[in-house]
Amino acid sequence: MIFLDLELKDSPGELLKALQPISSAGANIFSVIHMRENKTRDGRVPVKVVIEKLNDNLLHSIIENLEKLDVIVAKINEKRKKINLEIVVVGHIVDTDVLDTIDRINEIGTVVDLDLTMPDPIAESSARMRITIDNEKLKELYDEFDKIAKEKGLLFIKSC
Amino acid sequence: MKIILVGFGIIGKGVLKAINLKSEHLKKKYGLDLKVAAICDRSGAAIDEEGLDLELALKVKEETRKISNYPEKGCKMDILEVIGSVNADVVVEVSPTNIETGEPAKSYMLKAFETKKHVVSANKGPLAVSFKELVTAAEKNKLCFRYEASVGGAMPIINLAKETLAGNDVKLIKGILNGTTNYILTKMEKEQLDFDTVLKEAQELGIAETNPHQDISGLDTAAKIVILANSIFGRDVTIKDVNLEGITRITPEALVMANKSGHTIKLIGEVTDKKLEVCPKLVPVDSPLNVMGCLNVAMFDTDLANDIVVVGTGAGDIETASAILSDLINIHQTIKN
Repeated sequence: MIFLDLELKDSPGELLKALQPISSAGANIFSVIHMRENKTRDGRVPVKVVIEKLNDNLLHSIIENLEKLDVIVAKINEKRKKINLEIVVVGHIVDTDVLDTIDRINEIGTVVDLDLTMPDPIAESSARMRITIDNEKLKELYDEFDKIAKEKGLLFIKSC
Repeated sequence: MKIILVGFGIIGKGVLKAINLKSEHLKKKYGLDLKVAAICDRSGAAIDEEGLDLELALKVKEETRKISNYPEKGCKMDILEVIGSVNADVVVEVSPTNIETGEPAKSYMLKAFETKKHVVSANKGPLAVSFKELVTAAEKNKLCFRYEASVGGAMPIINLAKETLAGNDVKLIKGILNGTTNYILTKMEKEQLDFDTVLKEAQELGIAETNPHQDISGLDTAAKIVILANSIFGRDVTIKDVNLEGITRITPEALVMANKSGHTIKLIGEVTDKKLEVCPKLVPVDSPLNVMGCLNVAMFDTDLANDIVVVGTGAGDIETASAILSDLINIHQTIKN
């Protein structure tokens, strides 16, 4: 059996949408537990799905299709795959080409939310980013933060 | 047990007040009769191997700012000479810290070991700069060297890891080890004030020093995590090895952004057998690391006991003296056994 921990957007029809790539692949679903009461910090609904054992290629293609539907595959067989990372950035974020900063982060993970405040045209601005990233790519992302911080004089405040 | 007190500033005075306050308790509970054989400051020393009058010493210091004015027993003797010549069991070293060279405190401690005296210190500088040299000198002379007060003030950290959690493998220690930065960030967050305004207010209240560089740049926290790395993780590192970022760039807007995702920002020191880092970090608001005001906190990740968290006052005269007193009691019991 394969245990999948998914995180779905909290809107009608999302559960059905998430089960589609699994059933389309012909995989048997043994159980689905919808944990509406344990929402994630960013308001998503965790769902545990147990499916029959599949070969790696088929599993990989199911996960790819789930991610295309904006379903976060958080864990596979209790092994954490994706994490939602919160960071705060301080500095001249816009002036130092915010699009380039996001593009460079997107090459490693995905910036799924950005909130920016510019209190004064001269003063440094602050931004909050939520990034979804494969667990094993975390070090690569932190190294990229260090590079961008040095190049653009930005301060990346990471999670403890 | 006779002690020599080196350094008679805020902490030194706190030590005398705590000894005075607890003398009967120490005798009754531990059979420890603490006598202060000498007190040293920049002006010189007061020496009486039968034990100085502590209230008189505090009065002289308060009124004249110089311990050398202690009636009859005051003198201009150099500190190294006092340590070398006065008959005592322990040197309590609480002179001002220098985190670049560790001097002159380092020389005082080495002199103490050379003349067969145990050492209790609250001094971060020499521990952060010359830890191995000092520990080797203590071991070579078969003497106790204790420094609980150097990290986290009254909060038990070093002795907790080395003694109470003995048998555990401590995998990580992280926390807030500087009360001033915690006060500033807490106040900025609560009142939406900018860094410079809160720093100025903290200086007026005496929470931040006139020269706050060591606190706000993270150097003070860095010195403390170096002590933890060397004493608990058995590493051989100095402040130069710390990946360091202070809190001067934190804005009220950054704190609002952190709050939006259920976090706050704290200056966190973190040490493992590989990592050595001090920087502002996002801390979940419901985390035990989210302590307010001047409080310090340390979280230990251990293999058997899992997570252990201690919270306490990281500075202050009596609070620091509490850690020094516990080290003195420990030395007394070690000698007795």
